[in-house]
Amino acid sequence: MTSLSVRRARSAQQAGHARGRLPGAGPGRWAVLAALVVLAVVMLLPFAIVALNAVKSPAEYSAGGPLALPHGIYLDGIVEFWNRVDFGRKLLNSLLVSAAVAVLAVVLSVLNAYALGVGRVRGRLWILVLFLVANTLPQEALAYPLYYIAKAVGLYDSRLALIIIFTVVQGAFGTYLLSAVLGNFPKEIIEAAEMDGASRWRILWRIVVPISRPTLNVLMIFFFIWTWNEFFLPLIFLISNDNQTVPVVLGVLQGERMMDATMSSASALLGIIPAVAFFLIFQRTLTRGVTVGAVK
Amino acid sequence: MSKAGIVAALAAAALALAACGSTETPDTGGGGGSAGAARTLTLWHYEGANSAMGVAWAEAIKQFEASHPNVTVKFEEKGFEQIQKTASMVLGSDQAPDIMEYNKGNATAGLLSKQGLLTDLSEETAKRGWDKLLSPSLQTTARYDDRGIMGSGKWFGIPNYAEYVMVYYNKDAFEKQGIAVPTTFEEFTAALDTFVKAGITPISVGGAEYPAQQIMYQLALSKAQRPWVDAFQLYKGKVDFHGPEWTYGATTFADWVKKGYIAKDSAGIKAEDMGLAFMSGKFPIMISGSWWYGRVATESKGFKWGSFLWPGNQMSAGSSGNLWVVPEKSKNKDLAYDFIDITMKKDIQNKLGNAGGVPVAADPTSITDEKNKELIENFNKLSTQDGLAFYPDWPAPGYYDVMVAGVQELINGGKTPAQVLDELAQPYNDNLADIGG
Repeated sequence: MTSLSVRRARSAQQAGHARGRLPGAGPGRWAVLAALVVLAVVMLLPFAIVALNAVKSPAEYSAGGPLALPHGIYLDGIVEFWNRVDFGRKLLNSLLVSAAVAVLAVVLSVLNAYALGVGRVRGRLWILVLFLVANTLPQEALAYPLYYIAKAVGLYDSRLALIIIFTVVQGAFGTYLLSAVLGNFPKEIIEAAEMDGASRWRILWRIVVPISRPTLNVLMIFFFIWTWNEFFLPLIFLISNDNQTVPVVLGVLQGERMMDATMSSASALLGIIPAVAFFLIFQRTLTRGVTVGAVK
Repeated sequence: MSKAGIVAALAAAALALAACGSTETPDTGGGGGSAGAARTLTLWHYEGANSAMGVAWAEAIKQFEASHPNVTVKFEEKGFEQIQKTASMVLGSDQAPDIMEYNKGNATAGLLSKQGLLTDLSEETAKRGWDKLLSPSLQTTARYDDRGIMGSGKWFGIPNYAEYVMVYYNKDAFEKQGIAVPTTFEEFTAALDTFVKAGITPISVGGAEYPAQQIMYQLALSKAQRPWVDAFQLYKGKVDFHGPEWTYGATTFADWVKKGYIAKDSAGIKAEDMGLAFMSGKFPIMISGSWWYGRVATESKGFKWGSFLWPGNQMSAGSSGNLWVVPEKSKNKDLAYDFIDITMKKDIQNKLGNAGGVPVAADPTSITDEKNKELIENFNKLSTQDGLAFYPDWPAPGYYDVMVAGVQELINGGKTPAQVLDELAQPYNDNLADIGG
């Protein structure tokens, strides 16, 4: 993604200096650019509308509807929402749960996948099928069993319960994915290490993990963002306001019959900013991880 | 290398936070346990802080803390959806609040009462005289029988406010056409005709959600008496969907679309957009509930507006508001009762009225705002003639979607009123068979 934008910026620069002398600047290139621009607009439009309504006053919204331009910047909605729900605390909760899940689920996935992919456990195909089936289970089906278990062990209404649940949920997917990746892990390297007398444990941490680090990083980022955006189970498990995560608190504004469109927009904006920021910070890691197989 | 550093730091931070999180959680629940020490009343509701209920209840909390010096109120604002989805789980656990707001109705408060998750308030109600403050149709939604069906049996909740469906109108638009506020049904349709002749679609309708079915219900109610409502809502008799009430409601609604009172494209309009269209002055009339009142008051600028009861009707869609319920697992039931008592007091009720809500036990003379007075006087008129007829989607589970689909067919002209009524009858009778009524 970066390389693309850099290239585009560079080509734009060149076009400015020497218009027409650019090789291959045919109509096809412009068509691709136009298509990309249209796609970008389609993707960004919902964000733009959210941002637009977030800075409108409720009266302005009622008078002009959702698409009218605001007359001025009205930030009271955002400020009021932040204070009303103690948003800083919710951010911290979300960060805690998502980061813990991201790290723990990756560790769990690596351990499972090492056994299944490299260790070649007997019946691993069926184990993987089981993991895949577990992945397709809707969360609604899990809600009641998890509720009774959490209540029995005294973890209902705690962030720890959520961390454990999502570590397992994300770990199931990670195991499935990583097993496929580690199944193709070059045997020669492992055999060489075994010959040097490295234990299995040592091979895992000194050889397998460092070499698959790009994949693990991508997995960790996905786990973080997915967990951040989870709504249903946090809604059920985080009962006290002090424990709630960001997506749950956004639901506070939806009334029985009334919605506060401007404040909902303001809160939606606050809700997506952290995930977007996280994505932007780690997007280089992401692209590196995605392309790592292609370079080979 | 630095990236690995960041990831490691993140992991360390996460684990550290996780560790402190797990030690922190167990002691949040132990607030008001030990005797003699300070106690905590945990209170949940889901009304916005600026809404009439939010304002009145904030004042009630203040008064409660003043009269109970050793008690602190731990108020948590919840989302409607969260309470809807999680109430039975929360109330079955030790995390249950001491008192909470909950939805009235068979599928909500009725169901929880049947599951034994709510405290029977009958004794307190009689002792503190709450039943004397609530009119019969308000009591309907507070009492549930052994099957969890409203209307009779024990008291499981106390409503603080009420709601009803009325006609909101744009005074400027009425003046421009020379129309006075209609007092009879004939005057009302004459007014609608005048708008149509002037090229204006008079009624803002949201056909994709609750508003359209409530209009059809209002029309049916114009031909109905209380026994019909009791039969339909409380299963106290047989409902003929091809009887005069429903037939009139569905046929007249279809006629209104034909005559141009209701726009043909309104089948896809949401309630929110219906409100926005009225508040921006695009339609002179909106028929909907008192829950819009506060919002119309603060957000509609540029024209004068008012409200009146559906002309000619003895009854109107409406009911008590949501209930205060005391979970069976509440650790401070005595405090919860005291709190309910404060919310039923005159000054809190008046505060609710002055903030634009519909109080159940206010003193109309102490409502200062002229508009709010109109709202409350209309409600009191309805209430004294025993005119709250509840909502058309209440009697059966999933009936809301059936109603929406049926009324949309009437707007589109896809089915005749008789066909639509057949569709409404089916799930209703199925449900009746299920509960053995």
